Amino acid sequence: MYKVDIEVDAKYSFCPGPLLKLFDYAQKAKPGQIIKLIATDPAAPDDVKNWAESVGHEFLIFNEKDGVYEIYIKIIGSS
Amino acid sequence: MIVSSERLDKLYPAIILASSACTMGWDVELFFTFFGLLALKKGYQPSSLSKDYNEYNEILNEAVSKGSMPKWDELLIKAKETNKLKIFACTTTMGLFKIGKNGIKDFVDDFVGAVTFLGRSKESDINLFF
Repeated sequence: MYKVDIEVDAKYSFCPGPLLKLFDYAQKAKPGQIIKLIATDPAAPDDVKNWAESVGHEFLIFNEKDGVYEIYIKIIGSS
Repeated sequence: MIVSSERLDKLYPAIILASSACTMGWDVELFFTFFGLLALKKGYQPSSLSKDYNEYNEILNEAVSKGSMPKWDELLIKAKETNKLKIFACTTTMGLFKIGKNGIKDFVDDFVGAVTFLGRSKESDINLFF
């Protein structure tokens, strides 16, 4: 599993809450850092993947357990 | 994007898409016109859905008070922090409703007419109407 630099908890927040929260942290993060986003919004994995691809970060992996998603991205440049 | 209603069933979809687009680095312009303009009026806070959806008011208000859904204007102001969002108030409607520039909330960027908005829309890749 990845070494997480920043953990962002966006549980129980609906779209676009998780993405906006992630965006805030991603802006402050340094290249190479790994962010783990925890969310319950079922759109979060796809939204984060599309967002990461569109702004140039790397979408690593996500897993789901009991409706809770853990999504990992790697910061590439500053967004 | 054109926002033509201040009812939350129109306001939220517009602002959710606008703020998401801003996080993707897109330039977004929101044109508040006719009853959408009321959302920008100082001293006025949109608080309900369209009549047809009255039964959902409680669900939405509960989500907002619990924080699982942000307040519409907080979402808007947060999106503005990306410097990707511009908010325009329609001058026709301001004239119609007798609202002066001073009566419009401070987060509005400019006051524009139909031709100006159409000219700007022509340059954009996506136009949405709410």
